[in-house]
Amino acid sequence: MNSVVLMFALSSFLLQQDPRQIVEEAQRRAASQSQRYEGTLQVINAQKKITEKRWQYARIGSHGASKSILRFTAPAEVKGVALLVVNHPERASDQWMWTPNINRDRRIALQDRSSRFFATDFSFEDLEERDTNQFDYKLLGEETIDGAVCWKLQSTPKQSKVSQYSQSYVWIRKDNYVLMQIENYSKSELVRRARYSDLRNVQGIWTAHQVDMHDLKRDSHTILKTDKLQYNLPMKDEAFTLQALRRQQ
Amino acid sequence: MMLLRLLSWPYLRRHLLRWMLTLAGIVLGVAVFVAMHTANRSIFKSFDETVDQIAGTTQLQVSAGEFGFEESILERVQAVREVGVAVPIIEATVETKIAGQGSILILGVDMTGDRGLRDYELQDADEAIIDDPLVFLAQPDSLMVTKEFAERNHLEVNSKISLVTLSGEKEFTVRGIMSSTGMAQAFGGNLAIMDIYAAQQILGRGLRFDRIDVRASDEFSVDQCQAAIKAALGPSFEVEPPSARGRHFESLLSSYSMAMTVTSLFALIVGMFIIYNSFAIAVTQRRSEIGILRALGATRGQVQQLFFLESLVAGSVGSVLGAFAGVAMAAGITQYMSTVLEQTAGFTQRVTELAVDPMLIATALAIGIVTSTFAAWIPARSAARVDPVHALQKGKYQVLSAGENRRRRWMAAAAFLISIVCLLLSSSKLLFYTGYVLMITAGLLLAPALTLLLSKALRPVLKRVLPAEGTLAADSLVQAPRRTSATVSALMLSLAMVVGFGGFAHSFLTSVSEWMDQALNPDFLVSASANLVTRAITFPAETASVIERVPGVRQVQLVRNARVPFRGIPVMIIAIETEKISQTVHRIPVAGDLEEMDRLTASGKGTIVSDSFASIHGVGIGDPIELPTPAGLLKLPIVGIVRDYSDMQGSLFIDRSVYTKWWNDTTANVARVYVNNGENVDAVRQRVIDAMAGHHRLLVLTNREVREWIMKLLDQWFALTYNQIAVAILVAVLGIVNTLTVSITDRRRELGVMQAVGGFRSQIRRTIWLEALSIGLIGLVLGIGLGAINLYYSLGMVKRDFGGLELDYIFPLAFVVFMVPTILTAAFLAAVGPAESAVRGTLVEALEYE
Repeated sequence: MNSVVLMFALSSFLLQQDPRQIVEEAQRRAASQSQRYEGTLQVINAQKKITEKRWQYARIGSHGASKSILRFTAPAEVKGVALLVVNHPERASDQWMWTPNINRDRRIALQDRSSRFFATDFSFEDLEERDTNQFDYKLLGEETIDGAVCWKLQSTPKQSKVSQYSQSYVWIRKDNYVLMQIENYSKSELVRRARYSDLRNVQGIWTAHQVDMHDLKRDSHTILKTDKLQYNLPMKDEAFTLQALRRQQ
Repeated sequence: MMLLRLLSWPYLRRHLLRWMLTLAGIVLGVAVFVAMHTANRSIFKSFDETVDQIAGTTQLQVSAGEFGFEESILERVQAVREVGVAVPIIEATVETKIAGQGSILILGVDMTGDRGLRDYELQDADEAIIDDPLVFLAQPDSLMVTKEFAERNHLEVNSKISLVTLSGEKEFTVRGIMSSTGMAQAFGGNLAIMDIYAAQQILGRGLRFDRIDVRASDEFSVDQCQAAIKAALGPSFEVEPPSARGRHFESLLSSYSMAMTVTSLFALIVGMFIIYNSFAIAVTQRRSEIGILRALGATRGQVQQLFFLESLVAGSVGSVLGAFAGVAMAAGITQYMSTVLEQTAGFTQRVTELAVDPMLIATALAIGIVTSTFAAWIPARSAARVDPVHALQKGKYQVLSAGENRRRRWMAAAAFLISIVCLLLSSSKLLFYTGYVLMITAGLLLAPALTLLLSKALRPVLKRVLPAEGTLAADSLVQAPRRTSATVSALMLSLAMVVGFGGFAHSFLTSVSEWMDQALNPDFLVSASANLVTRAITFPAETASVIERVPGVRQVQLVRNARVPFRGIPVMIIAIETEKISQTVHRIPVAGDLEEMDRLTASGKGTIVSDSFASIHGVGIGDPIELPTPAGLLKLPIVGIVRDYSDMQGSLFIDRSVYTKWWNDTTANVARVYVNNGENVDAVRQRVIDAMAGHHRLLVLTNREVREWIMKLLDQWFALTYNQIAVAILVAVLGIVNTLTVSITDRRRELGVMQAVGGFRSQIRRTIWLEALSIGLIGLVLGIGLGAINLYYSLGMVKRDFGGLELDYIFPLAFVVFMVPTILTAAFLAAVGPAESAVRGTLVEALEYE
């Protein structure tokens, strides 16, 4: 009996040390069938000037195979501009942008994913959901972020995945598997750091309500604040198509 | 060198004016050569720089001629594995409404991805939105301009600029200012960046792009990427590095460049005769000096070397001065040529600096020096053969020996015969040009004998007009045939060129006028641009319906034209409504039956080509033409050849239905409008303008306005060449001044005797004047004769190498009649200075002169 308990305890311990499973567990705990929020985006450049935009965000589907629409609501110059992101587990996502003032949509080409997302410090690639099968993981140890003990993992894109980053470091809280920080590297140079904060439990899902993306090359920050977050709302798949993108203004 | 210092320099100082006139011939010739080629090079270089600066890090460009292609091609290119970045581009010049700024180059780009290829180096942007492509994309009136443009026009972020678009004059907002490096320097700084989809709207592009700029993926080479894209898209698309556009531009203007080279070389050839004349006179005048040198032991080689050195120095000084003058002239010519090219070929360029090529300068210097030394070769050889005994005998040296005359006549006959043989075998280009050169050579060889003949023939006429003065003038010509014939040869050559070119221009203008009568017969034309060769802006086909509904309009015919590559050369494709056109236009068939060719073309089973196209590309009825289109390779047989002057590189006519099907484009450049019989054309025109007021900004040009525009264009095209010819005439006239100056010097004692025995100064003046008028008249007669032959060869050259145009031989009688008083007046004016010089000075000085 004691040996069985010991073996169970040992296997559980070993299970928790598998980096892929840590990531998968984190994703499982954050998973929802749908999501909606209103976001505020503040861009603070190197001269400390702040610009602000607002958007509405909606997502449907499981992680890695979801669809989302992001529609700007402020300022007036950009109101109505929308982005549709369709994620795929086996390849890079498809992205389209709708511009109401010229009544045109445009596809964001794959090679453009490394460019900045509308003057923020996020790139288009940063908006994609990362499927665990597209990366290799390595557990590097433990570190403390904002007083919480976290696993530190190294994530390297597999050959099949096209990414601007050569590797990333990910910090995941040990207690609730919430993502706390990501550092993205390009050819061994740290280019971006995302810090997650203001954790709240929404409908049983621990969610960071603030993400601070720091572009180290430009020395600028983009702070995304989430408001009115809701999960698992009824949404129709048809609302996440190019036709819907053009219709909704 | 010692001989140069001891003998040549004092002689030069005594005859400074003459040497300056001699140098002027070389200076002008070299100056024109340098100016024309520098201007040409500056324009080409400016075009290349614009292309490079706009291209950024682009390695390849995908295009399908000027028609552009559908947006779906972009995804096909982006899907190619070897492609790293592929972004769509629209490029066009539009008119600004800013005073003094003219046009601006609009580059329509997709800002979401273009930064991978081009660095915009934004200097400044809106206070609220700094460096924000989202606002740029969201607001279709957004523009990014260069710092230079902004400073020049006092613009800052949020300033407004008016541009002339398809929808009329519209205001745009400056949302960014680019620093003055890289791309911002293109087009002289008159560059603006716009969102590509906004550009589509203002330029009437529909759902099309002009081209796709590509950079290869890091793992593949440019060649691999190029091959992969070609394989993916097929032969309908060109996939070339940006530099290929410069080559296309040059090939389009190759005939123009060649014409510039030929006419600029003429000025040099005429200058060569001036040099020859001067040295021949110098040898003649210095015979005693040379005789003494030889008697003292100087070898023939040393004497020859002396004159060679003199010609080398003269050539060097003249060439250097000419090079400086040429560079100074180049700026003005460049601006003029840019304007002409914009209006004739639709290429807008802003040349901000001259491209002075050291190699060109070196070539011009070499040509000037070689021309000078070559021209002095015969006189130098003649000087070396001076017999010391004969050198001291007067009079005989001016005469052309019978032997020399005979030799020249035999050589002229041989050259003429060979030339005739070459003419009979003129299907070969080499033989044609060989025959041409030999014919001119025959004329030049015969010039001295003919000059003597005509001088003798003129003697009784001059004697009858003014007995004393006329006789003296005629005798002066007869007794100094060497002096006279060189000047006459220069004048003859210049006039031959004038007649040849004048005849070509007259024939061309007559042919164009006939063509306009037959082909350009709508009551008015509707176009998106006042410059009818601008094809960048199009309008939708529905415009035809709007116009057709206007009371008084009988018929509307839509035309769409643009250049596409054909065998590496951009050729003009003109898509017409063949059936409608065949009812209203009476074209001039060169080959094939008109009705049959129209029927086949209308049904999409063939294409009609212009005679120049057929000539340039060596094609005929039945030959297949393959055209790259976005939908694949379009193959059509040639079903007819017509006379057409729509484009200098030749044109291809296809039916509009074929164009719409293969290019998937329903837009048009021009609408040809016919009015009902009996209607007031101006009234209908105004109704059409009113009807289109709410739609697109289109210009309605009357038939007369279009014709005037075309004729003005042609005048501008020819004006530059007319100016070069004027330079050649000027050089020839300088030769007359030179000759008269020497003549007066040689006859100073004679003229002194005339005054001593009671001759008036006015009589002496008249003698000189008559001599000049006689030279002018002889030059005219020989020049017109040679010109008639030159015209034939000029038309042959045009057919072979300058656009393949088949023009009728029409002798430019009116032009020649105009040249007669012009040349005679020029000759008279050339004589004024020397005539005054002849009567100046005291009688005693004149009689003592030796």
